[in-house]
Amino acid sequence: MSEKLLDGEIRKQVEEIFGNMRSEVRILFFVDSKRCEFCETIEKLLDELVELTDKISYDKITAGSTEANDHGIEMTPAMIPLTPEGDDKGIRFYGIPSGHEFGTFLKTLVDFSAGAVPEISERSLERLDSIDDPVDIKVFVTTSCPYCPKAVLTAFGFAFASSKITASMVEASEFEELSKKFRVSSVPQVVINSSRSFVGAHPEEEYLTEIMKAVTG
Amino acid sequence: MNAFEVGGLNIAKKIKDYYDVIIIGGGPGGITAAIYAVQGGLSPLVIERAIEGGQMNNTETIENWPGFKTISGVELSERMAEHARHFGADSLNSEVTSIDAEGKLKKVILETGKMIEARVLVIATGANPRKLDVPGEGVFSGKGVSYCATCDGHFFSGKHVAVVGGGNSAMAETLYLLKIVRKITIIQDLLKLTGDKMLQDRVKASGKVDFVLGSKVRGIEGDEKVERLLVEKSDTGEQISVDIDGVFVFIGTTPNSSLLRGKVDLNRYGYVLVDSKMETSVPGVYGIGDVVEKEVRQIATAAGDAAVAMHHAILDHFD
Repeated sequence: MSEKLLDGEIRKQVEEIFGNMRSEVRILFFVDSKRCEFCETIEKLLDELVELTDKISYDKITAGSTEANDHGIEMTPAMIPLTPEGDDKGIRFYGIPSGHEFGTFLKTLVDFSAGAVPEISERSLERLDSIDDPVDIKVFVTTSCPYCPKAVLTAFGFAFASSKITASMVEASEFEELSKKFRVSSVPQVVINSSRSFVGAHPEEEYLTEIMKAVTG
Repeated sequence: MNAFEVGGLNIAKKIKDYYDVIIIGGGPGGITAAIYAVQGGLSPLVIERAIEGGQMNNTETIENWPGFKTISGVELSERMAEHARHFGADSLNSEVTSIDAEGKLKKVILETGKMIEARVLVIATGANPRKLDVPGEGVFSGKGVSYCATCDGHFFSGKHVAVVGGGNSAMAETLYLLKIVRKITIIQDLLKLTGDKMLQDRVKASGKVDFVLGSKVRGIEGDEKVERLLVEKSDTGEQISVDIDGVFVFIGTTPNSSLLRGKVDLNRYGYVLVDSKMETSVPGVYGIGDVVEKEVRQIATAAGDAAVAMHHAILDHFD
C-alpha cells in the first residue's frame, strides 16, 4: 500500500477536531468506475478518516444508479454528507477537498454531526424563509485559495437553513469543462442557478442579497 | 493536488461572550498578539474572516521570517495558528460587522448578529490588494483580472499574462506564476523594479519575463474576457497595446479599515493612526500590522507591532 495522504501531524489535528463530533455522519460517495481520475484519492482519504473516528462512515455509490439520480448527482467524484437522521441537506462536494478545502470538509462533517444547524443571523433566516423555488449555488474553488473556504461555508449555511437550497463546492481544476462553461478565471466564483455569478467571499448579508437577486430575477 | 491543510478554522471551542482581548484579524500580527496575550495571563479571541495567516496564505514562499530559511506561506500560517492554539487562544471564523469602542467594555458584533465583549480591542485587519482604478478593471474582474496568483494562477496555464507592479509582492507572485504560465510581461510605473534584489535576479534569470518599465496601465480591454492592456509610456505619453490572456495586479494595498471609520482616527488613505504604544485615538483600542500607518509592511513588522501593543495593553488596561 502506498503512503498515507494524511501525515502524522495532520492525523493528530484531525483526531482532535473529530473529538467534537456528536452523532454519526454517513457520507454518500459517488464514483464513476469508467472515468473518474480522482475517485481513488477520495476513497483513500475517506478510508483514512474512518480510521480516525467511529462517527464517520461512507457508502460508495455508482453514478447513474437510482440513488445517484435521486440525489441529482450528474458528475463525479461527488460526496454528500447526511445528518445523523439521514437527511440530505443539499450539501455537495465535487472533487477532492484538499488544501484549504480540507478544513471546509472537516468543519462540515462536524456541523453535520450536530445536525447541520445554520449559524446565521435571524435576519438571514427570515430572508431564506421567503424562498419558494429551488436554488442551486455552485462555489468554484481552487485548493490553494485562502478565501474559498469562507465562500463555501457561507453557502452551506444557507443550505442548512433552507430546504430549497443546494450548495456545492466545485474544485475547478478537476471540473475543467464546467469551469470553462461558467468562465471561471478567479476564485471563489459563486454561480447561482447557472445564471448569476459573482467573485469573492462576500459577507453573509451581501452574499444572500446576490442569491435573492437570482431568485427574484 | 495540494496537501491537506486543517487550517485555522475554529471547530472545537464554544465562543464565550467575554474575552479580555479581542483581536480582529488573524494574520501574523493578530496571531502574535494572541500569543502575547495568553502569556500575559489574558484570554484572547482572534476573529478571522477568511483563513488564519491572512495575506501570508497568498505567498508561495517566505524567506525572511527567522527560523525558516524557506517556508511556504500556507505552512507558516498553519504553524503560527497552531502556536496560538497550543497556548489556548480561541479563534473564530467570522466577519465582524461593527464595533463599539466607546466605554471600558468594547463590543464586537459578528455577521451572525452575536455580540462579544472585551476590555481591549486589537485591530489587525490588514490590507487588501490595491486596484488599478482604470477602465475595464471592474468589468473584467474574474474574467482575466486577478489579485491572487495562488488562487487563480491555475486558470492561466500555458498562457501569457501581465503582472502589474515591481515591488516584492509582484516579484514573488511572478515567480509563482512562472511555474504555470508560458510568458509574463511585467509592467511597472517606475523606471526600475523595487523588489528585493534576490527576487529580481530570479525573475530575470527565468528568461520568460519581459519588462515594460516607466509605463502606466491606462485600460483593460477585451471582448468577453481580457485580451489586451492599454499602456502609456510616462515620458513620451505614447500609448501601446499589449496582448495578454490575463493580468495580475500587485501594486500595493489599501487598508481594511471601513469598520473603524468614525470610530478611531485614520489618515486620509484610511490607515489607522497609532502612538508609540500602538494605541489608537481611543483608549483600549490598538492597531497593528498592515492596517496601521507606517513605512514598512512585513510579517516581521506586524509581529513586532503586536508585541509592543500587547505589552502596553497589559500594563495600562489590566490590574
